[in-house]
This record gives sequence, C-alpha cells and structure tokens, in this order.
Amino acid sequence: MSGSFASLNTALSALRYNPFALDTAGQNIANVGTGGYTRRRVEAASAGTPTRPAMWSRSQDSGGGVTVTGISRMADAFLDARVRTEHGKQSYLDTRQAVLDRLETGLGEPGDDGVSAVLAEFRQAWSDLANDPGGAAARSQVLARGGALADAVRLQTRNFAAEAGDQRARLTSLVDEVSTAASDLAATNRAIAVARLDGSDAGNLLDQRDQLALRLAQLTGGTARLNDAGGLDVALNGVPLVTAGIAGRLELASGVTPAGAADGSPVTFQVTHPVNGTTAAATGTGGEIGAVTELLDTTIPAYVAQLGSVARTLADGVNALHQAGYDPTGAPGGTFFTYDPADPAGTLATSLSDPGLVAAAGVSGSVVDGTTADAIGELTDAESAYQRLIGGFGTAVASGNRLAATQSMLTSQVDGARDQLAGVNLDEEMLAMVQYQRAYEASARVITTVDAMLDTLINRTGLTR
Amino acid sequence: MTITRVTQQMMTNRSYVALQTGLGRLSRTQEQLSSGRVLNRPSDSPTDTSSAMRLRSSLAAQARYSRNAQDGLAWLGQIDTTLTSMLGQVNRARDLGVQGVNMVTMGTQAREALAAEVDQLRESLISGANATYLGRPVFGGLVTGRTAYDQAGAYVGVPGVVSRTVAEGTKVAVNVQGPDVFGPPGADLFADLASLSAALRSGDVATVRSRLSDLDAAQSRITATLADVGTRYNRVDRADQAAQNAGLSLTTALSNVEDVDITKATMDLKMNEVAYQAALSATARLVQPSLADFLR
Repeated sequence: MSGSFASLNTALSALRYNPFALDTAGQNIANVGTGGYTRRRVEAASAGTPTRPAMWSRSQDSGGGVTVTGISRMADAFLDARVRTEHGKQSYLDTRQAVLDRLETGLGEPGDDGVSAVLAEFRQAWSDLANDPGGAAARSQVLARGGALADAVRLQTRNFAAEAGDQRARLTSLVDEVSTAASDLAATNRAIAVARLDGSDAGNLLDQRDQLALRLAQLTGGTARLNDAGGLDVALNGVPLVTAGIAGRLELASGVTPAGAADGSPVTFQVTHPVNGTTAAATGTGGEIGAVTELLDTTIPAYVAQLGSVARTLADGVNALHQAGYDPTGAPGGTFFTYDPADPAGTLATSLSDPGLVAAAGVSGSVVDGTTADAIGELTDAESAYQRLIGGFGTAVASGNRLAATQSMLTSQVDGARDQLAGVNLDEEMLAMVQYQRAYEASARVITTVDAMLDTLINRTGLTR
Repeated sequence: MTITRVTQQMMTNRSYVALQTGLGRLSRTQEQLSSGRVLNRPSDSPTDTSSAMRLRSSLAAQARYSRNAQDGLAWLGQIDTTLTSMLGQVNRARDLGVQGVNMVTMGTQAREALAAEVDQLRESLISGANATYLGRPVFGGLVTGRTAYDQAGAYVGVPGVVSRTVAEGTKVAVNVQGPDVFGPPGADLFADLASLSAALRSGDVATVRSRLSDLDAAQSRITATLADVGTRYNRVDRADQAAQNAGLSLTTALSNVEDVDITKATMDLKMNEVAYQAALSATARLVQPSLADFLR
C-alpha cells in the first residue's frame, strides 16, 4: 500500500497524459485531408512497479499512473514500397497513354479527312484522267490531288515530329525536377538523422521523406531503400541517386541537345554523384521519364519509319508506272513524286508543276491514250500498307489503354491498403477525444476525492462532532 | 478485398474515383451519340478500324468503276446509234445498186441520178464514221484529231484500243476501230461506194454487180459489229449495276461498323446516367454523416 499522496501523483500523470493524447487526436483531425499525412498514435504505458526497485527491497506500489512512451507513426514500410512501385508503373503508363491518345486523334482515321481519304481521291483523279486523257482539267486535278496527298502525309509526319519536340522539352524539365527532388530528399534525410539524435519527433520529416520518395518513383521508377539513419536511399536501376544526406544529379547524356533538339542518338542518362562520380544510368528507367524516353526512342520513330515506308511504296509505285508512260508530247514521263530516302514521309512532294508533263498515255505520241493513268489509278499497295499501319497503331493504343486501366485498379487497391493503415478516421478520433475528455474529468475527480479524504484526515480526525 | 479499417481519405478517394468513372462512361456515350459514330479513333476498335478503312477504299473503288462504266456506256451507245443509222444507209445504197444492174433500159440521166444519190449516201456515211463522243471520233482509235476519215474517205485514225476499267482487273474495249467495221483502208465501204457510183455513171454492170456483193459483206460486218457492241454494252451495263449494288452493300456494311446504334447508345446513356446519379447520391449520403452530429 503506497502513501496517501501517491494517488495524487497518479491522477496528475493522467491530467498530463490526456491533454497530450487529445493534442495528437487534434493533429490527426487537422490533417485528415493532408496528402501524405500518416496518422499518429500516442503510445502510453501504465507506470507501476519498477523491475528492480532497490537491492533486497520490494515495491509496494500498486500503480504509478500513466506515462507517454512515444508517438508512433502508423506506417508500414512494405506497403509504402508497394505504393511507390505501383505509382511508378502507373505514371509510366499514364504518360505514355496521354501522348498516344493525342497522336491518335491527329490521325483522323477512320474518316473523311485522313490520309486514306486523300489517297482515294488521288486514285479517283487518275481514273478520271484515264477516261479523258486529253482534258486539261483532269490533268490539273491529278497534280492538285497528288500535292494534297503529299501534304497530308507530310502533315502527319510533322504532327509526330512536333509531339517529339514537346516531349524533348518535357524531358529536360523532368530531369531537372528529379535532381531537385533528390536534393530535397537528401536534405530531409539529414534532418531525420539529426532529429533521431536529439530525440525530437521526426513524424513530419518522415511524411515529407515518403512524399519525396514517391515523387521520385513517379518520375523515374527509382527504388527506395531504408538506411540506418531512418532516411531513404534512392537508386535508378541500381545506380545510386540519393545516399543518406548526399544527392546526385540526373543528367541527359545523349539524345537531347541543351536547346531541346534531337541529336540523332537514343536518349540516355547519367547520374553525377558527389561521392560516386559520374555513372551512366541504365536505360529503361520507369516512371514519366521512362515513358517519355520510350516515346522518343521507339514509338514515334517507329511510326514515322512505317509511314515513310508507305510513302516510299506510294512514290515508287506511281513513279515506276509514270516513267513507263508518255506525256502528250510523246516524251517519256518523269518522276511524279520526289522524296528524300532518309525521311520519305517528311519530304514527300510532287515533282511536276506543269499539267502537260503528266504521263497518262501507255503508247508514245498519243494524246488520247489513258492506259498509264488507268494503271496508276488501280495501284493499291500504298493503301493497304497504310491500313495495316493504322490498324497496328490502333491496336497499340488500345492495348496501352487496357494496361493503364488495369494498373489503375491495382494502384488504387494498394493506395486503399495504405490508407486503411495510415489514414485518419474521424469517428475513431471523435471516440478517442470523448474518452480522453472523460478520463481527464475522472482524474480531476480523483484529486477532489483524495483531497476530501485528506481533509477528513487532517481536519476531522479526533473530532466527534 | 477485406477492409479492416475505413478511413475518411479512403472514402473520399473511392467516391472520387467512382464519380470519375461514372462521368467518364457518360462522356463516352455522349461522344458516340453526338458524333453519331462508335469508331471515333483507331483504338476504339482496331479490328473495326481496319475493316472500316478497307470498306471505305472499296467504296471509292466501286464509285470509280461506276463512273468508268458510265463513260464506257456513252461510247458504246454512241457507236450503236451511229452504226444502226449507217446500216440503213448502206441498205439504201445497195437498193440503188440493184436498180443500177437493170440499167440497160435506163437512160444516162437516170443512171446519173442513181450515182448522185450514192454519192450523197457516201458523204453521209463518212460523216457518220466521224461520229464523236466528247470531241473524240469513236471509230478513230487513238487519233488525236476530231475525225477518223478525211473528206475523201481515207482512214486517218491511229490503231489503238480505248478501254475502261469497269471492275477490278476487268477492262472492256469501248471503241470500234474504223477498218474493223468499214473494211480495210483502200477496200473499205467508202471506196466501194465511190467505185459503185463511178460504175453507175459509166454503165459498167459487171463492176456494179461485184460492188453489190462487197456491200453485202459491208452490211454483214456492220451487223456483226452491232451485235458485238451490244454484247459489250450489256457487259459494261451489268458491271455498272454490280458496282452500284456493291456500293450500296458496302455503305451498309460501313455504317454497321462505324455508325452508332442510336437505340443501344440511348439505352447506354440512360443506364450510365442512372449509375452516375446513384454514385452521386451514395457519395452525398456517405460523406455527410459524422459522429460529431451525435456526440454532443
């Protein structure tokens, strides 16, 4: 049995603990909508018999009230890592998808305004010329439609080139953002290490650390690992970017010139780290940067190359027939389309400007023969190649859409799992508040009661009335 | 998925995602209804896009074939009309020749009258042989000028076939070359008639008789050509019909692939609208209440 005054101390500890717990509940409620906030919980322990009060003695204490043992942050490192991985994949797919959607809309297929419609009109013009080889109008029409077709192919190529230019500019700013986030994370890591040493609450710093690591994962798909000092180390495909308090810089090694133009080689990166020096970062980085890199290195060039092969098929097919034909003066036809073999789709143009040079005849010296025009009107190679190209691109976009949708379900599931643990539930906090309030009131009553008891002992002992 | 602990952030996020999904579906249906098409971009259905593009190119091809066929029909029609009227005139020339065989009893004047009519017929036939379509002589082959026979009746055409592509890989000749129907140059219908009129004038009965048999041959050549032209006319006409029918069925097929089924889309719109409203009302009811309303 402890002394009479011990109860006062017990009550006092409760009067100290409960407002502290109420503060924490208040903090949780205040941050219910804060992104990246992880809920806190006050860890308390009942104070009581010391494990070893003194040599050869025994404690008679029945309880010493309550003590705060710490504030825990309801985070799970495994879930946080999953969240980072899934968000990295999600931003990769979303970024890629947004660009592909834009490119696809620019194609205008299937419809009345796309390249295939212009191609059909071009063939129609040749067919009309075959019916009326002597007509000046039909000749001009063939040239005009040929020019329109070349324009449409070049326009599509320009759309893709413009998108590639935008993405290069975006890549430059993304790389800067990665370096900034990396140096912020390193600073946070240092602050966490200091807070650990001086024992102050690092909860807000840890929230900030997780936010920065998540942003880095979204940008680069980089993986984070917990280090000994409580900070996060981030590596891009095994190349360290942030190690404890030291941050490296991500830089573009090739692919984009400082002015934002293409330099002809694939996009590669390097990390300049104050300790490790400059290391080439492995390609295939995920996240937004990975998506932009893939678009710049693979998707856009592949489409333009295929469109180029369509343009080449068209130009070569028409030219071969046109050169075998004869113009109204009886001279053999020249080339109808010209292109630069290095970039057929971007340079396709008609080489004739005089309708009189259109070779419609299959026999020399005949103004009224239209066999060559008829043969050109029946050319189908380029048309079917273009249809295959569009079909293939559509399939790629559709499959990307499906992947992004599936990934988004997975991402929201993982986010939900993390939220279940780390999120704030207002009802829970309300109940806790009521509980702490009542506990505070009751502790105050304990003091009143002890006070009354002492009053009895001190002032009334010995009095009989 | 087992939910062990529901938090406010989670509910807010879920409600937001649900509302976004609902609104996204609504906007897709709205796009289909307002554009009238289910295929607005290749990724809406890559397979259907390929079909739609193939259908569109076939449709353009059928329109081309139909136009070619129309042009061919005009050529063949012109030839048919011209040859039919020429056949009558050749008949008349033959009648005159038959009268001339009995010229022993005739006077010079009567023979001169016969010869003059034959000359008239010859000129008329030459102008028939120069019949044109859109400025091109239909019997002149690949001649650049506007006539197939000059005023003296000599062939000035250039040998060559004028053909029209009326179906995939099907070319039909739509012209008739002068020598094929009027006889080889120098011994053709017009030379025969000139010789006939000269024989009538000179009273050379033997030559008149031999020209009569030449005219018979000319008549049968024209008749045979008429039959051939008629067959070709039918063939081109059938090809035109086939192209137009194909165009119709291709348009239907294209519409099936590309166009929206209004009834279905309207139903979808209604259902998506109901789903969206349900999501809205669920959100409104779930987000509102709080323990704060009950603890006082």
